Amino acid sequence: MAKNQPGKDNFTRNLVIGVVVGVLLIMVVPTLISKQTNTSAKIPASVSADRGYGIVFNGELSGVPVIDIYEDFQCPVCAQFEGVQGDYIESLISAKKATVVYHTLSFLGPESVNAANAAACAADEGEFLSFHRSLYANQPAENTGVWSNDVLVVLGQATGIDSKKFASCVNNMDYKDWVSNAATAGAQANVNSTPTVFIDGKEIDRQTEYYDVIKFKSAVERG
Amino acid sequence: MIKSLHSKYGAWLGLISRLIVGGVLLAAGLLKFQQLDKSQMAVRAYELLPIGFANVVGIILPYAEIAMGVLLIIGAALRITGGLSALLMIAFTIGIAQAWARGLSIDCGCFGGGGQVEPGTANYLPEILRDCGLALLSIYLFLFPQSKFGLDKTTTSGERDNG
Repeated sequence: MAKNQPGKDNFTRNLVIGVVVGVLLIMVVPTLISKQTNTSAKIPASVSADRGYGIVFNGELSGVPVIDIYEDFQCPVCAQFEGVQGDYIESLISAKKATVVYHTLSFLGPESVNAANAAACAADEGEFLSFHRSLYANQPAENTGVWSNDVLVVLGQATGIDSKKFASCVNNMDYKDWVSNAATAGAQANVNSTPTVFIDGKEIDRQTEYYDVIKFKSAVERG
Repeated sequence: MIKSLHSKYGAWLGLISRLIVGGVLLAAGLLKFQQLDKSQMAVRAYELLPIGFANVVGIILPYAEIAMGVLLIIGAALRITGGLSALLMIAFTIGIAQAWARGLSIDCGCFGGGGQVEPGTANYLPEILRDCGLALLSIYLFLFPQSKFGLDKTTTSGERDNG
């Protein structure tokens, strides 16, 4: 080590080092805590903490395949996936042929958080699937400021959700903590891109099965 | 000859190394800091660390990069920050090299981004070369922590102390 000469210069240096390290430590600790699952978070209808805070359809069925879909409403490839497989997945839900769990991640930024929160508000109105469809059909470029809460309320109205409760839920970000819990659960499930689809807990083949209607169907039926 | 050149210009080389390594770290840290979920995803995608630990690293890493970047740029505690950034760059190089060797298709997540990418689109060689270069500069700072215009005032210009 170089000789330390006590004096004003070293005091300034140590002070600067202390401030830089101190400020960042003060910032990192709350961030680490905020990434913990908040068990007192308000959760929307049909959400199960046991299923990674996903929005669950047909959770009561047994002996059917369980499809876990991790998605981010701002992700263009997710919109593509919805375009190819959306109808089939919804038909599985309405025919009660599968348990489907939607995990709305939000790693693309604040507008993903807005959209996930609004989708949770729509779930309370029993309109998750139709709102899900509307979001993808009207997906703007990432974080361009389009998906403000005001716009999401209007999008909900256009989808047929016109209750005051929905509007206040969206505007107040009622499910912000739930969105964060869903993100944490996705991180714990080692989801490294969106969309990611698990069938009965096993990821399907990214090369072939995601965007091919027939191969996806056979992956579901294989279970 | 090399020794006298080094004693004449070494402090300038130190300054340049500091600014390059510090600037890169600061930029990388700030870009990751915007999207911590994605930073966690980037670390997990290397498939090197247990998931829980990778998620913690994904959060801490951007803060550590910002701290090291700032300290390098202002030239404070150069031996420690130089040593740490050398270790970090070596770790990054190992991470990218093992991803390449195992045939993973990931974004290195070096400057934000990260996670899996389409097979065949990953481009690992330039990333490895860049991190090796930064590692060398960091090692230089660790070995010779004197530089121009730094905050460290531990030696006088008359008696240069390399260790």
